[in-house]
Amino acid sequence: MTDLPPPALRLTVTHGALGLTVDVSGDLDLDTGDHLVETVTEHLARHPEAPAVRLDFGELSWIDSGGLSALLMVHRRARTAGRALFLDRRPALLERLLRQTGTLDHLTARPDQDDTAGADAT
Amino acid sequence: MGRVRGASPRVFGTSGSPVDPRSAAVSVGAAWAHAPYPVIVADRDGGLVELNAAARLLWSQAVRGDALWDTVPAWLAEAHGRFADGVPDGTGEVSGAVADRFFEAHPTPADDGDVVWWLIDDTDRRLAEAALAGARQRSALLADVSSQLLSTLNVTRCMEATARMATDHLAEAALLVAPPQGRRHQLTYAYRGGPVSQVTAPVDVHAVPGLAEALQGFPPVPARWIDPASLPSWVRPADFTEPVGSVIVAPLPGHGVPAGALILLRSSREQAFSGDEELFARLFAARAGAALSAARLYTEQASITATLMRELLPPRLENVHGVEYAGAYRPSRDNERIGGDFYDVHPGTGPTEETLVVLGDVAGKGLDAAVLTGKIRNTLQALLPLATDHERTLTLLNCALLSSHHTRFATLVLASVRRLGSTVELRLTSAGHLAPLIVRSDGTVEETATRGSLIGALPKVTSATANVTLRPGETCLLYTDGVTEARGGPLGDELFGDHRLKRVLAECAGMPAEAVVERIQMLTAQWVGSGSHDDVATVAISAPRGADLTMAGGQGRVGSTMYRRNG
Repeated sequence: MTDLPPPALRLTVTHGALGLTVDVSGDLDLDTGDHLVETVTEHLARHPEAPAVRLDFGELSWIDSGGLSALLMVHRRARTAGRALFLDRRPALLERLLRQTGTLDHLTARPDQDDTAGADAT
Repeated sequence: MGRVRGASPRVFGTSGSPVDPRSAAVSVGAAWAHAPYPVIVADRDGGLVELNAAARLLWSQAVRGDALWDTVPAWLAEAHGRFADGVPDGTGEVSGAVADRFFEAHPTPADDGDVVWWLIDDTDRRLAEAALAGARQRSALLADVSSQLLSTLNVTRCMEATARMATDHLAEAALLVAPPQGRRHQLTYAYRGGPVSQVTAPVDVHAVPGLAEALQGFPPVPARWIDPASLPSWVRPADFTEPVGSVIVAPLPGHGVPAGALILLRSSREQAFSGDEELFARLFAARAGAALSAARLYTEQASITATLMRELLPPRLENVHGVEYAGAYRPSRDNERIGGDFYDVHPGTGPTEETLVVLGDVAGKGLDAAVLTGKIRNTLQALLPLATDHERTLTLLNCALLSSHHTRFATLVLASVRRLGSTVELRLTSAGHLAPLIVRSDGTVEETATRGSLIGALPKVTSATANVTLRPGETCLLYTDGVTEARGGPLGDELFGDHRLKRVLAECAGMPAEAVVERIQMLTAQWVGSGSHDDVATVAISAPRGADLTMAGGQGRVGSTMYRRNG
């Protein structure tokens, strides 16, 4: 059998007391973004009791605007479902992209703080 | 079947030859009479001596003493003549048809000049060989059809080739009926040996039995059900004047949508289409249909891409109100997907008015990105009167783009530019985009302090505008991440990166705007080499250097030349 190269994006979902945790490993980009959105949406529907969605970016190797678009969609879906979204262990690459695009506060604001928390982008 | 009778008639029937009544029976023996293969014994003068049981099945009327010429086919009688005369070709073996069977005939001499012909039935092998050769020829033809048709993605040429090949291999005349456009059909006529012609006409496809169904992709009506006399006259090519003998109407199956139908005509002079030929016509039509629909899809996509690209092509920049502008756009090598980078320059109505420069990058590729890009450019054009307030412009733009269906966004930079004396005043606002870089005369490269949120995905956007003054010879560079994220270098997988960009820009100090963008484009192209790259868009805004006008103009740059004329 041929050894296929590892997929560009690997998602590992665990379900614990803190909610859903998704380990996002590899490249999150235009081609793989939909996979993340679909995975989170599916697990949100399957676990209505989970209070939050935590995306763990410890193993993230690349993210581009397509990947950010997917994160914004994940955030929108989590919000619609009344769940908080946490972006854990953000590598410098991701941190920089979120700051440059002014999306860090928006993506990490707690539901009760609403989007006014994102107003101070300096 | 008397074996002792074998030689006796020859005693009376021949003359001038040594006679030995027993020799034939002795040399041929007894077993041949019951051999499973036909055996004929003939004397040297061509008189039939004996046939065995198998041979009698072929020539039931033959009797001893008959002339061979009157009994067996000419090829065998001739071969016997040659063999009996002692001039056999090699072994004297010949072959030919007897009734509807095919035989090899091997002669062996008998002692007294008689010849025994052993016939081996070769019919089945011949049929199998013919069938194999036919199958090989058909599959070679089908492969040829595919390769000829797939070598063009031009629909018209593809239809011509289909009709022409149909007349070369299947029928005397062929008509390819394309799916309707409105009520009209494009018709491609071909006649064997004649030119292929095309017309578009509002023909009634119901007049041809099975045609309306074929155009909807239904299986073909058997040829024998179609009465050639009932065909309307428009079905025949102009050169095809003889009465139509047989007709095939075959659908051209496409990718989900029928690609048209093929009508094959033979005159009554020719043999009617056989079942095999009808089957082959369907295989041919399937190949042609696949090629045609591929060409049609490609043509549609290419025309959509061309339309969009025409709208999206960046404008040519030049000197406006005493400020030098230069832009360069290198689309991703992925030709079929339109990238998301764009820039525009909206000149101020007068020298004292601000010129608005926009450079942006839409997330994604292809049609979605193209639509969003078009929307942004149009909306910004409409918002021009409000461009004095960047934050308000961005808020309005964001509202116009927000969609509940997707989080497709754009990042962009707005630059309002105005010449003030010898300097250029800039108001720069980044909406989630890479901050513009300023190249000072001394080679210092500064990142502008503007920040803001991206456009099109957040309910609320914020931004902070930076004010920058360019002195003569200084340049502000707006760029997309295609520059810094260009992958390549010596190891092939390294990012060009912002440090390298800043170092390159430092070397561009004092250069005219056009030279700066050309240098950035050239260096990133070199960096990427043969690898793939994203869109790269760069816009440089420069304050012209009064003292160096002649030198700058000498390089023949559009911006510089215009400036010299103005200055």
